[in-house]
Amino acid sequence: MNTHERIDRDLSERDFTVVGKSVKRSDTLEKVTGAARYAGDVALPGMLYAKMKRSNIAHARIKSIDTSKALALQGVKAVLTHQDVPRVLHAGSPHPRSASVTKDQYILDERVRYWGEGVAAVAAVSEEIAERAVALIEVEYDPLPGLFTIEAASDPAAPPIHENGLGQNYVLPPVFVTRGDVDKGFGEADLVIEREYDLGRPTPAYMEPNVCVSQWDGNGKLTMWTSTQSAFMVRGTLAEVLGVPLNKVRVIVDHMGGGFGAKQDLFQNEFLCALLARRTGRPVKMEFSRKETFVGGRSRHPGKIWLKQGFTRDGRIVAREARVTFNSGAYGSHGPGVTNVGTAALTSLYRCENVRLEGRCIYTNSPIAGAFRGYGVVQTYYALDLMMDEAAEKLGFDPAEFKLMNAVREGDMAPSGHPIVGHGLVDCIRRVMEETNWHELRRREKPETVKRRGIGIGCEMHGSSAYPGIKEQGNAIVKMNEDGTVTLITGTAGLGTGAHTALSQIVAEELGVPFEAVSVVQGDTDIVPWDIGAFASHTTYLGGRAAQLAAADVRRQVLEHAAPLLKAEPGDLAIRDGFVVVANGSNQSLRLSEAVGPQRGMPAVQLVGVGTYMPTKSYSFAAHFAEVEVDTETGEVAVLEVVPVHEIGRVIHPIAAAGQIEGGIQQGIGHTLSEDYVIDLTDGRSLNPSFVDYKMPLSMDMPSIRTIIIETAPDPGGPYGAKGVGEDPIIAIGPAIANAIYDAIGVRFHHYPITPEQVLNALKTKANETRQ
Amino acid sequence: MNRLVSMTVNGEPCELSVALNRTLLDALRNEGSLTGTKKGCDVGDCGACTVIMDGRPVNACLVLAAEAEGAAIETIEGLQPAYDKPHALQQKFMEFGGAQCGFCTPGIIMMAKALLDENPDPSEDEIRFALAGNICRCTGYTKIIDAVRATAEELRRAGTL
Ligand code: FES
Ligand code: FES
Repeated sequence: MNTHERIDRDLSERDFTVVGKSVKRSDTLEKVTGAARYAGDVALPGMLYAKMKRSNIAHARIKSIDTSKALALQGVKAVLTHQDVPRVLHAGSPHPRSASVTKDQYILDERVRYWGEGVAAVAAVSEEIAERAVALIEVEYDPLPGLFTIEAASDPAAPPIHENGLGQNYVLPPVFVTRGDVDKGFGEADLVIEREYDLGRPTPAYMEPNVCVSQWDGNGKLTMWTSTQSAFMVRGTLAEVLGVPLNKVRVIVDHMGGGFGAKQDLFQNEFLCALLARRTGRPVKMEFSRKETFVGGRSRHPGKIWLKQGFTRDGRIVAREARVTFNSGAYGSHGPGVTNVGTAALTSLYRCENVRLEGRCIYTNSPIAGAFRGYGVVQTYYALDLMMDEAAEKLGFDPAEFKLMNAVREGDMAPSGHPIVGHGLVDCIRRVMEETNWHELRRREKPETVKRRGIGIGCEMHGSSAYPGIKEQGNAIVKMNEDGTVTLITGTAGLGTGAHTALSQIVAEELGVPFEAVSVVQGDTDIVPWDIGAFASHTTYLGGRAAQLAAADVRRQVLEHAAPLLKAEPGDLAIRDGFVVVANGSNQSLRLSEAVGPQRGMPAVQLVGVGTYMPTKSYSFAAHFAEVEVDTETGEVAVLEVVPVHEIGRVIHPIAAAGQIEGGIQQGIGHTLSEDYVIDLTDGRSLNPSFVDYKMPLSMDMPSIRTIIIETAPDPGGPYGAKGVGEDPIIAIGPAIANAIYDAIGVRFHHYPITPEQVLNALKTKANETRQ
Repeated sequence: MNRLVSMTVNGEPCELSVALNRTLLDALRNEGSLTGTKKGCDVGDCGACTVIMDGRPVNACLVLAAEAEGAAIETIEGLQPAYDKPHALQQKFMEFGGAQCGFCTPGIIMMAKALLDENPDPSEDEIRFALAGNICRCTGYTKIIDAVRATAEELRRAGTL
């Protein structure tokens, strides 16, 4: 096979039979044949179609809504406004165990806070009639001042967008993180650099628009098919807001077309769809258009980062001070989590004992920012890594060597307050330098041609699991059937990452059965054990560990049961390749089906294992190399090659892990060079809610990627030492590109995205400066 | 006002009663119950709805069902030579990890099929060019390109046996 990923196996304490192999993913046959059922593929007899009426003003009170014309349209079955729906304040990002959720949403409010917010919903016999009815709804608004920027909204005189009593439109009270003595540190510094970094508004732009289908049965039970990363959160919030018990809400997610973090939230549609179905007594489907998926979706938090660091001549960082300010948009969503995680991240990556950090998150009347792969850390490490590059040059160090010197090491305190396990980052940087002949490339001649090449390195670390912000929990049930095959029942959602395959591999490994002997039941809250959802790079780490524990429980039961049959002690037995074997080499063995199956008229033993796991935290690491070519006539930046080196502990499925890395790089290239969801700063209207105007890197723009995965710092908390990988790649690639652009043209940018126009302007300014 | 449109879908004659402004995409997914073809944008920007119409790849969201009168349509559901045997492209997408969330996959596989039908030995650049209108947000394309290249190789080898 000519896939590119390479795995350095530095761990050899045991041989694995299933773990670490790219077995055939169990979920892909359905995907490549078109048989996979996504929520939008569900069709039920008598199903109605629902559409949302969205505001055409960013900040206003609703004076009146006239739905009479819409209701009169033939084929319209129901219309809902804020007067018709339960008024229950709820969190947009409903993590029940999180200390920092922000309850600030109603299903429909009598006030709108961003352009395009839902104000009413219609159910009709066809999508087209529903759309026509939406256009017939007349809404009269009392405009309120639109606060579109952090500056406008955080002015003490600005009116509050939410009445939470915090003032200055804070989503949460400012976050302060202090370690050591920053003033003393700056006193020792030979070089101080201070900069402000400006961060755009990329969005996840998952391919499957938000969609759900609702159906109530005669006993008042709701079944909802929806595209979500956290089915149990949807169930909990629906139950709470609609006032029904949990056993009357069933959420089903067979397959979903990407989420990248954002699909942890509820998007008004789940409530409205359920209420319309209840009102009409018929199943209802509500599917967003692509435009609505932009407008009513979630973006990464835009913002500003002021960063100041002190360095010594010998290349140490002696003080770091930062003020991080994120724009939350109209609702809190993940603002508290992103602010905490992004700010705290600045305590680490590059060692510094004296740190003073402040994090703020501000409501504005702009699109809602939510969770998105990299969760605040994309932003803060972009600033941190860019400044490291600049400092290296000023101090006369090679940038990669400088990062290596300062890289976080084993035992250092991580942002979560835990000691770092292993020297993952050091290993990644070294490996990038070896693999790319870094020093040789740096010495390369740089002709002053139209197209100029440059190289850069960017680094990151990211936690698997959202601990300590959220106390997470993963659960699994493993059953062994009487023929020795195994059923894994997991709450873990399948975002498309291959998680269920990885979990099956872990179960097969633990039970000593072939991979094919394990099948997975997932995606139905009525059947699977509770799960917090698929996010925070924790699925394999957390869900995998729970599955491993459940499998270990089954193994213990199998061995206990087989011991008398083999006239041995359970402790002397093992399961290998589907056989229970006596480990002392006596050659005695029993097929699993014989060990656990029915015997002489006796029913088979019931073998059910349950695993519950509450992780703390582990960190994965990466260093990315990027080579770019800047066209000095058009300002265009092409990424020619990326060499990502990731340390993720034990790799369960190499191809799936590499797929995560390559996909993250694609989104990160977009963030850095082209993706920005923009609004009109006079009225808050979104300006590019389409795939044509929101520019993402596609097949022609993507460089070749040479993925390298190393396993040098396995985490004792993860299954077989596995750690997370989902978010890491999107963090490291941005600084690698920005640093490479500097290497190519000698211009340092302090923002993203870096557009061709800005490159051209910067080159002009630079030329003028040198002329003077 | 509905009208009856007859076409051949995956080799079988098919008559659908559709509204005049119904797109081929909606007709296939709703009236035709073939939900393998996906809707990512409905305006021709993403390629998730790619099907093959009279031998040429089209965005089914840009074609009116009525325009497909008499046409031969191939969708992802018709690609397998037998129910238990995936097409070489499907096989390679599985092996190489070319599908993650899978939402873009049917469209990309149909586009790749149209490419390989026309050019059995495409270079990497030709594959990238052929897929330029198909958005995949999950994979970074690396494994998709690998899968298409490997399929081409296998089909060529099978053809020369
Ligand atoms: S759905 Fe047809 S191109 Fe996007
Ligand atoms: S696999 Fe998810 S969009 Fe391509």
